[in-house]
Amino acid sequence: MKEFTSADDILDFAIDAEQQAVNFYTRLAKNAKTEDMREVFQQFAKEEIRHKTRLTSIKETRLFTLSKEKVADLKIGDYLVTVQVTDDMSYQDALIVAMKREKAAYKLYNNLAAKSPTDDLRKVFLSLAQEEAKHKLRFEVEYDEHILSEN
Amino acid sequence: MVLNDVKYLKYKTYLQTYCPYCKVSFNVEKNDLKQLKLNAIYKNQELQLTLSPYLDVFDVESSIPLEKDSILDDLICPHCGKSLISKQISCGECNSHVGEVIISAASKLIPFYICLKHGCEWHGLSKSDERKIKLKIPRQTMPEQDQTLRVHNYEEVPYGYTTELAMLEAGRCLQCKNPKCVAGCPVNIDIPSFIELITHETLNEAAKKIKERNVLPSICGRVCPQENQCEEVCILGIKDKPVAIGRLERFVADYERKMELVEVPVISETIPQKIAIIGSGPSGLTVAADMRKHGYSVTIYEALHETGGVLTYGIPEFRLPKSIVQFEINYLKEMGVRFELNHVIGPLITIDELLDNYDAVFIGVGAGLPRFMNIEGESLGNIFSSNEYLTRMNLMKAYKFPEYDTPKPRGNKIAVIGGGNVAMDCARTAIRNGAEEVTIVYRRSRHELPARQEEVHHAEQEGIKFKLLTSPIKYIGTDSYAVKGMECIQMKLGEPDDSGRRRPVPIENSNFIIECDMAIVAIGTGPNPIIFNSSPKLKRNKWGYINVNPETNETSMEFVYAGGDIVTGSATVIEAMGAGRIAANAMHEKLQKKLNHAKKQKGKKKQIAK
Ligand SMILES: Cc1cc2nc3c(=O)[nH]c(=O)nc-3n(C[C@H](O)[C@H](O)[C@H](O)COP(=O)(O)OP(=O)(O)OC[C@H]3O[C@@H](n4cnc5c(N)ncnc54)[C@H](O)[C@@H]3O)c2cc1C
Ligand code: SF4
Repeated sequence: MKEFTSADDILDFAIDAEQQAVNFYTRLAKNAKTEDMREVFQQFAKEEIRHKTRLTSIKETRLFTLSKEKVADLKIGDYLVTVQVTDDMSYQDALIVAMKREKAAYKLYNNLAAKSPTDDLRKVFLSLAQEEAKHKLRFEVEYDEHILSEN
Repeated sequence: MVLNDVKYLKYKTYLQTYCPYCKVSFNVEKNDLKQLKLNAIYKNQELQLTLSPYLDVFDVESSIPLEKDSILDDLICPHCGKSLISKQISCGECNSHVGEVIISAASKLIPFYICLKHGCEWHGLSKSDERKIKLKIPRQTMPEQDQTLRVHNYEEVPYGYTTELAMLEAGRCLQCKNPKCVAGCPVNIDIPSFIELITHETLNEAAKKIKERNVLPSICGRVCPQENQCEEVCILGIKDKPVAIGRLERFVADYERKMELVEVPVISETIPQKIAIIGSGPSGLTVAADMRKHGYSVTIYEALHETGGVLTYGIPEFRLPKSIVQFEINYLKEMGVRFELNHVIGPLITIDELLDNYDAVFIGVGAGLPRFMNIEGESLGNIFSSNEYLTRMNLMKAYKFPEYDTPKPRGNKIAVIGGGNVAMDCARTAIRNGAEEVTIVYRRSRHELPARQEEVHHAEQEGIKFKLLTSPIKYIGTDSYAVKGMECIQMKLGEPDDSGRRRPVPIENSNFIIECDMAIVAIGTGPNPIIFNSSPKLKRNKWGYINVNPETNETSMEFVYAGGDIVTGSATVIEAMGAGRIAANAMHEKLQKKLNHAKKQKGKKKQIAK
């Protein structure tokens, strides 16, 4: 695993990860078989761009917050089997993919926080983990509301 | 003003009346006919008045015809000849003189007043006191099949009201000046009017009143969630239980059907335009009825070999007898609606092809694609989607095996995942199918169960177990890949989020196993894409449901309309019908414009030719 020595390193890494997510969803949008799924992936890509912008501004201003707020974890994605990324995936599958990606990022930052050599770096990682937890929650709530409708 | 002591009175109470002076009774009984007889002076003539001795609408008969709103000059005791006109009290409604008699109620004698103005029904009670009286009639329960017997058969559970019960229940309605119930009904049935017709025992008229707005009343009376619609906002419900509007609707529709009073409107095909409808569920049937009434030629294309949509393949016999669904559909057939069964639109005929032959198309294909949870082991044997399970049991009549050759899905310990009507229907079907133990597994608490309370109540009565705040996370299989259990996790409700909803959150290390040899997944359904593959022009949202203009229900394709579950996602029968009505109205308007325009053009051409 990459060694991080400064907050800049971490943020560069995180910004790059968000860019990869943007690329991932943009590719899915391009290949989507239907107009509505194209819009879904474009929307996901836009959200990732917003995350990236946020990180860039943190890097520039050095202002990041590690709020005490605990982000709820509905753990919906945790028990779902991995779905194949295909050109004609459904919205349900798209949400599963998104939840799982955000969870992986959350775990990564949490692990990095645990291994941080300094307190400052740990805080940066934890704050990033919190961000990812929020992204995941947003997809989980959508899944909870519309897929597990139970009517 | 002194008012009667209403504490002792109930609506429709039989009143024993006496003269306040000679104390002789005014009541007369002849051959079971109970009457209240008084003398009166009207335009200097003496006359006899016969009144209804029941505390309800004041029926008055007079030996001399009385003009409406005319006022009697005097009211006289036929025994002692004294004037009964009260010196202290005047009418609370119209301020005219009133006659005073004495009534006995709960071994007390209390004054009771009769207004002298013909047509005024005041009898000493203010409107608010009258309400109090009505409040005292409890909401009438429907007789139903014994719970121990009914789990062995598929017959309908509630029997419906008798005429007496229906009239008693109808008597509870306050006939509000600004009734809230009508707006609470998605198709705006004139509820107070049909209920009033029941109180007069004019049941056929009541049925007609409902049919003005709703073509499927005996279905809606059975399956509509009235507790969230008309009954939720019923004004009586503020202080007491609301009027049982749904049960009354069902009673009236059943009465009309059983008495063979249903009259099919005779319609000749007066409009040269043709309508195609895809899907014979409640939305499609409503469009068909409305458009046919206007005089269009209407054809319904249905993918299955039977009509009715979810009403036929989903909702079980014990909740909605199929003979009733077929009766309502026959009504449409007799109106001249054509049905083309076994026609899957999309692969067989495309929407564009339909537009070549029809002037407008309505898509009411429902949301019948099963949804699974996507957890480990879900492809093991004996795990069914609710759609498959109910279709086999209802549509394919597996419950009548071997009379019908669809084998019954077998299981002794059955887990049903979900908490809606569909889950209740699966569970209650499974118990009738001979399962020893049926458990509903639901992620949230009892309070959030989306099923109708009545269904939950019936399910509990029938011995269905409820495992609440529980979510399956993995299925466990036998060596031969059949399900033998589910690993579940206990949930708790989290803090309310921005939308105010408390979402279930798993409790760590709370995993446990529920044993089952069959599982039915009833977590919701989605749109079936089959119709869309050949219609890329039809705009849909990310859920895959069709986008429509909410005012007209027209889709992105001109003259193509849509409504029901394929637009909203799984909803209710009446909402699907409401959507159908919006589409039918808009379709009619647009087609009329088109027709008028064509006529004008033709007229112009003729003039030019001249
Ligand atoms: C088990 C169950 C219980 C329910 N209980 C209640 C209840 O108690 N109360 C309540 O109000 N609601 C209840 N609902 C919901 C209610 O039944 C639906 O909201 C309603 O039926 C939707 O009507 P619809 O006209 O949109 O479609 P549907 O009733 O789904 O009918 C659609 C029809 O279109 C046909 N079709 C589909 N695709 C094609 C095609 N390509 N070509 C031709 N035909 C096609 C289908 O075969 C079907 O017959 C229940 C639903 C289920 C599944
Ligand atoms: S709101 Fe209730 S009480 Fe009032 S008219 Fe409607 S059904 Fe009757």
